[in-house]
Amino acid sequence: MPSQLLELYLPKAAEIQEVIEENSQIKTFVLAFVDPEYNDGFSYEPGQFLMVSVPHCGEAPISISSTPVNRGTVHLSVRRAGKLTEAMHDMHKGDVLALRGPYGRPFPMASLVGRDLLFVAGGIGLAPLRSVINTCLATGHERSITILYGSRTPSDIAFKADLQAWGQRDNVSCQLTVDRAEPGWDGAVGLVTALLGHCTLAPHETKALLCGPPMMIRAVLGQLADRGFADQDIITTMERHMKCAVGICRHCHMDDKLVCKDGPVFTLEELKQLNVMELQG
Amino acid sequence: MTEKYILKKDHLQPFLRKLKKSHQLVAPVQNRHGDTLFTEIDNLDKVHIDLDNQPQNSLKRFFFPQQEVLFTYHNPARDSYYFETVADESAPTLYFGVRPCDMSALLYMDVVFLKNARDPNYLHKRQNNILVGLNCNEPFANCFCNATRNGPFIDFGFDLQLTDLGDRFLVEYDRSRGQEIISSWRQFFAEAAESDVKAQYQAFLEARGKFRLQVHLDQAVKKLAEDEVPESVWEELSMRCQDCGGCAYICPTCTCFTIRDQPISDSDGERVRAWDACTFSGFTLMAGDHNPVDRQMRGIEKRFRHKLQFDVKKDNRPSCVGCGRCVNICFGGTDIVRFINMTCCGNI
Repeated sequence: MPSQLLELYLPKAAEIQEVIEENSQIKTFVLAFVDPEYNDGFSYEPGQFLMVSVPHCGEAPISISSTPVNRGTVHLSVRRAGKLTEAMHDMHKGDVLALRGPYGRPFPMASLVGRDLLFVAGGIGLAPLRSVINTCLATGHERSITILYGSRTPSDIAFKADLQAWGQRDNVSCQLTVDRAEPGWDGAVGLVTALLGHCTLAPHETKALLCGPPMMIRAVLGQLADRGFADQDIITTMERHMKCAVGICRHCHMDDKLVCKDGPVFTLEELKQLNVMELQG
Repeated sequence: MTEKYILKKDHLQPFLRKLKKSHQLVAPVQNRHGDTLFTEIDNLDKVHIDLDNQPQNSLKRFFFPQQEVLFTYHNPARDSYYFETVADESAPTLYFGVRPCDMSALLYMDVVFLKNARDPNYLHKRQNNILVGLNCNEPFANCFCNATRNGPFIDFGFDLQLTDLGDRFLVEYDRSRGQEIISSWRQFFAEAAESDVKAQYQAFLEARGKFRLQVHLDQAVKKLAEDEVPESVWEELSMRCQDCGGCAYICPTCTCFTIRDQPISDSDGERVRAWDACTFSGFTLMAGDHNPVDRQMRGIEKRFRHKLQFDVKKDNRPSCVGCGRCVNICFGGTDIVRFINMTCCGNI
């Protein structure tokens, strides 16, 4: 059998180059494949994910949070949530885990060119959007970019270095809000939808990219619809339990679609054809 | 396909003996408890190949085992994590006495395991095998392949297909390998006479009239597509389903699986693939206890929608093959036939 076939489920070892502690719950792992030739040839697109293997913990799908423009390493930003991610959080620089992928349909990057962009994220939801934002900025996106990011508390704000860098760009407006203030916080308090209410947007010229908890998604979708956004201009990425990631095991099914293959990126227009929990109140 | 042959029943055993020299043989065998199961046969003289009863299992496990090791993993130090593939030792196999439902299920599994990606374990087992089918002259009590339209007779997918004509089998082939087998073992085959072909057609007509269950599958498919299944049907089904997974395990077209690590020592283990069932509450459960599907209420609904709605939408045919095995196994009274009856006739 050709070796490519045998490797359908076989991951490749990757070494942790650096661990960035984003907050108490989220760490970004900077990874490079141990096989230098494979690492050189590795490429992906924003919105795609990797299956991460940790010894004795099986596999879990994790969104890529880095931009493919920066070659040589890939970033996975991981929130402590279950057995595998807990084990990852105990790993350090020099430790080896394993990856297979990239998998999934990426964000439609070509359709973002020449449009204003609105990014709305909550918590770890900024991870896949970070890949898009940094790709747009690296490839010279000229139109305006609005980034709205909600966190629980000021100390939960992740990706601080990115947020700061984005805020310094002329065409980027980067606004943060928290559910609960802490001493020293003089920023906004409340839901991202409150920030969204104060934004000047041109719905017919804007693509909106969302990722965050279902409650946030529903609230933002409601407001975008009120402001005249078309369903095909609203794009999000779905999270599902996955085992194979190649369209066979069916754990990630959403009606006749499979999130690993038909997604994880969907437009609202596509999601409305399906019975999706995140859209139901 | 115009050529048809006759294999006398007296010649079956010697014919299988010849093929067994190059192939592992799997056929329905009645064991000492009286159960008929597809079984690997070591010694043809010591078993009773049972072509009168429906095998309780399908061919599923031979191509997609209930548990199989995908590879081993090794983690001798924090900076060393590597994998070793496991050689698949399965030999070329002759599957004998495969009924149209199980043949159709195998063709469906080909789509699942080979269309989106080529599953190496499945592909290896699917290559180099011979499929010898058997048309059903006598549908069993819970059969409804007439409603799923893949039986009681089938005319594609097999290498050789047999029809029982009393003291002889009429033999057809679909693939060139079937033709090769006939030419290689020509001494066992005679050309079929016109009367044999007529007898086969007569057997087909009679078989069609012998189904005891009337299952309005088309109507259920239509109701699902038009979203006309009453909520009370789903409520009753989810209340009565005992969550045992028996229907999914016995079903020849239920192919959902899970993958997990099976530690062997502190540093080593196996990555194992095992059958799963979409009716289980953990099927879509994510880390942090998020579940995008209310499995308690919706698990069994997802199962029927997959088979009778989503697969119809995608491939234009349901993925139920009418074998009736779930009817035999379900003690909660929530098998697919009862679902269809509840949906179409309002009775249980």
